[in-house]
Amino acid sequence: MSSTPTQPPRRLSHARDISRPGFYIKLVLMMLVNALGLYGILAAYGQREWGVLAFLVLALIIADYVYFSKRAIPGKYLYPGLLFLAVFQIYVMVNTAYVAFTNYGDGHNDSKPSAITQIMKTSDRRVDGTPTYPVTVLDRDGEMAFAIVDDDRVLVGDAEEPLTEVGDAVAEDGRVTEVPGATVLQLAEIQQRQNEVLGLRVSMTDDPDDGWLRTDNAAMAYVAKSLLQYDEASDTFTDAEGTVYTADPAQGLFVSDSGEALTPGWRVLVGFDNFTRMFTDSRLAGPFVSILSWTFAFSILSVLTTFALGLILAVVFNDPRVKGRTIYRALFILPYAFPGFLAALVWRGLLNQEFGFINEVLLGGANIPWFSSGILAKLSIIGVNLWLGFPYMFLVATGALQAIPGELAEAAVMDGAGPWRRFWSITLPLLLVSVAPLLIASFAFNFNNFSLIYMLTGGGPNYPGAPLPIGETDILISMVYAMAFESGTRQYGLASAMSIIIFVVVGVISWLGFRQTRKLEEIM
Amino acid sequence: MARKILANGDNDTRLRGAKWWSQVGWKHVFAILMIVYCVFPLLYVLSASLNPGGTLTGSTRLFTTVSGVNFADLMETDFPRWMMNSFIVSTVTAVGTVVMGAAAAYAFSRFRFAGRRGGLTALLIIQMFPQMLAFVAIFLLALTLGEIFPGLGIGSNLQLIAIYLGGALGSNTFLMYGFFNTVPADIDEAAKIDGATHAQIFWGIIMRLVTPILAVVGLLSFVASYGEFILARIVLARPENYTLAVGMYVWGSDERNAPWSLFAAGAVVAAVPIILLFMYLQKYIVGGLLAGGVKG
Amino acid sequence: MRKSFLAAAAVGLSLTLAACGSGSSTSTPSATGDATTSAAATTSSAPAAAGSLTVWADETRIDAFKTLGETFSAETGVALDVVQKPSADIKNDFIAQVPTGEGPDLIVTAHDATGDLVKNGVVSPVELGDKAEAFGDVALRAVSLEGQVYGVPYAVENIGLVRNNALVQDTPATFDELIAQGKGVSGAEFPIVIQQGENGDPYHLYPLQTSFGAPVFKSDANGDYTAELGMAGPEGEAFAQYLKKLADEGVLSASIGGDQAKQAFLDGKSPYIITGPWWTGEFVDAGLDISVLPVPSAGGQPAAPFVGVQAVFLSSKSENQLLAQQFLDFMGTKETQDTLFEMGGRMPALNESADAVSDEILAGFGEAGAEGQPMPAIPEMGAVWQYWGGAEVSILTGKAEPVAAWQTLVTNLEAAFQA
Repeated sequence: MSSTPTQPPRRLSHARDISRPGFYIKLVLMMLVNALGLYGILAAYGQREWGVLAFLVLALIIADYVYFSKRAIPGKYLYPGLLFLAVFQIYVMVNTAYVAFTNYGDGHNDSKPSAITQIMKTSDRRVDGTPTYPVTVLDRDGEMAFAIVDDDRVLVGDAEEPLTEVGDAVAEDGRVTEVPGATVLQLAEIQQRQNEVLGLRVSMTDDPDDGWLRTDNAAMAYVAKSLLQYDEASDTFTDAEGTVYTADPAQGLFVSDSGEALTPGWRVLVGFDNFTRMFTDSRLAGPFVSILSWTFAFSILSVLTTFALGLILAVVFNDPRVKGRTIYRALFILPYAFPGFLAALVWRGLLNQEFGFINEVLLGGANIPWFSSGILAKLSIIGVNLWLGFPYMFLVATGALQAIPGELAEAAVMDGAGPWRRFWSITLPLLLVSVAPLLIASFAFNFNNFSLIYMLTGGGPNYPGAPLPIGETDILISMVYAMAFESGTRQYGLASAMSIIIFVVVGVISWLGFRQTRKLEEIM
Repeated sequence: MARKILANGDNDTRLRGAKWWSQVGWKHVFAILMIVYCVFPLLYVLSASLNPGGTLTGSTRLFTTVSGVNFADLMETDFPRWMMNSFIVSTVTAVGTVVMGAAAAYAFSRFRFAGRRGGLTALLIIQMFPQMLAFVAIFLLALTLGEIFPGLGIGSNLQLIAIYLGGALGSNTFLMYGFFNTVPADIDEAAKIDGATHAQIFWGIIMRLVTPILAVVGLLSFVASYGEFILARIVLARPENYTLAVGMYVWGSDERNAPWSLFAAGAVVAAVPIILLFMYLQKYIVGGLLAGGVKG
Repeated sequence: MRKSFLAAAAVGLSLTLAACGSGSSTSTPSATGDATTSAAATTSSAPAAAGSLTVWADETRIDAFKTLGETFSAETGVALDVVQKPSADIKNDFIAQVPTGEGPDLIVTAHDATGDLVKNGVVSPVELGDKAEAFGDVALRAVSLEGQVYGVPYAVENIGLVRNNALVQDTPATFDELIAQGKGVSGAEFPIVIQQGENGDPYHLYPLQTSFGAPVFKSDANGDYTAELGMAGPEGEAFAQYLKKLADEGVLSASIGGDQAKQAFLDGKSPYIITGPWWTGEFVDAGLDISVLPVPSAGGQPAAPFVGVQAVFLSSKSENQLLAQQFLDFMGTKETQDTLFEMGGRMPALNESADAVSDEILAGFGEAGAEGQPMPAIPEMGAVWQYWGGAEVSILTGKAEPVAAWQTLVTNLEAAFQA
């Protein structure tokens, strides 16, 4: 960060001026930061977290440079915020972007080895009509083995050797207690080697069709057989009928020639598939334009209404002659002080067509379909969002108002400007300079205000019979939700891709908006 | 502050009759209408909080039963603890946001450096990333951080604060940036000539002049983290670590037997500190500059 | 499953932890073996001799499972760390966390998660062995998929007809007669309340639908659901027309959500409500004298509600499989199921425990669910709710013609299954 201060600094940074107490404070702080950073680097090394390690080294070097250099003065002020931003926001964005290129979602939830293990696990079934045996877990020269009693014979076998009779073993109450040349494992040892115990399959006989003995709890064993055989060399599963399921790295699935797939699949990179889906899904063709225009209408109207009300309140009650305004103001932010989801619940109740407070009490038994008529549902949403959002704008506007120099207003009064003129030609333009970026941010927030829509109307009223569960109050982001999650399987990859597309749209619009506000700033 | 000079020029504080009504009186009427608008949806909540059974929005007959039993029950739950957690998390977050945001705003307002414009815009645009999937990676991050810095792992309030501070630069910075710009640069120049360092100017002079916006940003940040439950419930896995918002969310998410009475009582209690905090901060928000702060 | 919007919102808002793991090659559990401690649980879990298990349970069963944990611990020396999670989050967080090697050893959830859990490969199959027969048939089928059992069921529940005995004392055999009777009750505003809401509620209408012979999915010879819609065709359309008739008569309305229905019944405004055991406690507390009965048939065939089964599932990546299996065995014992019944008030899934339940209200629900089928847990079911509720609401509000709406519903669902 090269710094070009407005004018050459006349003094050295206090970092070098050892006569100032600030220098020592900084020194102590930087020692702490370095200690923490070094600790983190060591810990990351210990945990083999190379990405984290690299990040920490970089962050520490930059920190030391920024705070001990005479240059980079702005960096000293920006560094802490940017560090948090990088860790908690940029990283999240990068991660989402990565997911957008994968098929991550229901059915493709984990890596390929996990999928193979899981397929083998679920296809391993108990053979119907076979008995269960009390089982004893043995250790024979380091190899784990099972021992059972069958027809008063003691049978022992391990991974290599099928069950064979052992003559001089001891059994009590149907359970083997002693086998020559082997140790009977106790519970604690079994627990230590539980993966071995659970993974052990002891063939019943030489004939693989007879199945194998396994146990889930190291107490009882049963006879099981697998419906599928995995062949590592060809990377295929084969079932009893001989159908072959081949690994398809493009889909992340084991599929047969006839297109049958095994569950589960695994995550693979799928390129731009997710990005193109939004444009190729024919089910979206109908409602897309109306959803897009409603999204814009909703976010713009939300910003305008909340800002207008917030601003009016801020200006009107920025008047010390109004007694009790401290209380008034505090009550105005009540909607802000209640949990948002509670408010949505309450408003749903209030606006209920037949039983809601608004129709029943305020409107004397009217039967206004607040949620089942498209237009009214849209109005309801904007109305509720006004209630939820104006306190924020009120606070922001109240704060920003304080920056408007009194002299300007006084001068205007001298010029004979009335309150309206003063508001429109002085207060509002000055206010907009500092508040305009927030309005753009608020626009972007509402553009993605999934939770409001979801909690208030759920996107309804639905377009009757639409091929996607989409309704008249759905905005883009809730449409994404309907598409990626409500049509049965959750597709995180698709959702990520679509939210990135939306982000790009909002980002570009906002960027254009900023250029406008900059002009505003330059005029002032 | 013997007599305040009003920005709107109406300086006669002893108005009478029609003039009072036209200049001040109507504002009271307006205020009362607004309060009705703000409060009436919450009557359901208040009514439910005083009713030991029943539903939240099932009936329009409010206040049929009035009892304090829900509030007493509330104290038997983890609620007080959640409230404590929320205070800690929100206070630290608010202070951190104000300090980091103000520092960044100062840098953007007072220094000219490469990437300043772009940086400002980028800050805001980054915040626009859809929240719907924004915390996708948070859990992962929490796990990894927890392995490296014990205390920053899953379940710790410190972690949650750190996550919230990730959003410290953003629209808040803009709000402050706009405000900083209205503080005349002569002030800095004068101080520089007197031998002050940039740090002294920032901490000693500027920060005092921008108190109102610091109070506003502090409040906004406090309220935001006080009501946030989406990220918080990822990080805070156990009821004893919950913040208020997570606890209330968990109560409310019970499909069939949500304890609405407790929930409503909790919401009422939870709202009180925000209102009190705002009343306390008001004197900083609206008091500072009317007394002539920036006239420097 | 009644989809409370908050529950659904939770899914929506969270899309939980989606990417966990996806970029997580870095976060393979450390080899210390201690890494199994749940993500949620920052347990102290020292590598104890007997070990410990982490269980996620929601707010309604946290106490019951904590009590169980103490018993289990006393019997086996294995500590049970019961972590409370909102019910709406359990399935999603579990699916997201298991691949990271984190997540709990076990979860307690409703059986309709089975399909998703299996599809994502996050649960281990459970071999109940000879104990399988000890469980109710519906309960067992509910936690099974393609012939494999995936969970240990412990409770079943379903909706039924709840009657306010102060208003009416005898109940006719058909739904039409019931409405006629209900309309004649003086002082009542509704003949019956069935919760719907703006997004519909097919769950509470399902007994009526099945009485027309239109189950959501067809079943195969074993009684397992197939992916073929059972509500297509004339039976389903007849039900759609019946819905329209009920709406025209003012019996059903999208304005009656859960809150409104419950309050109306509490206030004595309706002699009947179709609901489940989750509210009867409050009805009794409010001083109502109630009986629980099977829902009368509307279309001639028996009215069969969905049966929901509560079950314990085992993580496929649990590093304590052996101990977890011990716990699953423990879950299947009569003592455990009795304890859970006493603390949770849900009908036990184990026949022996269920037979011992003497509570009249629960017995009534048991009878009401005698014809019931498990709520489908096949993955296709995930797509059904939204479309189904939407179509029913459009019929109720008169936005669409019943038969046409029903046919579109079937077309859309079949398209969604393909997608």
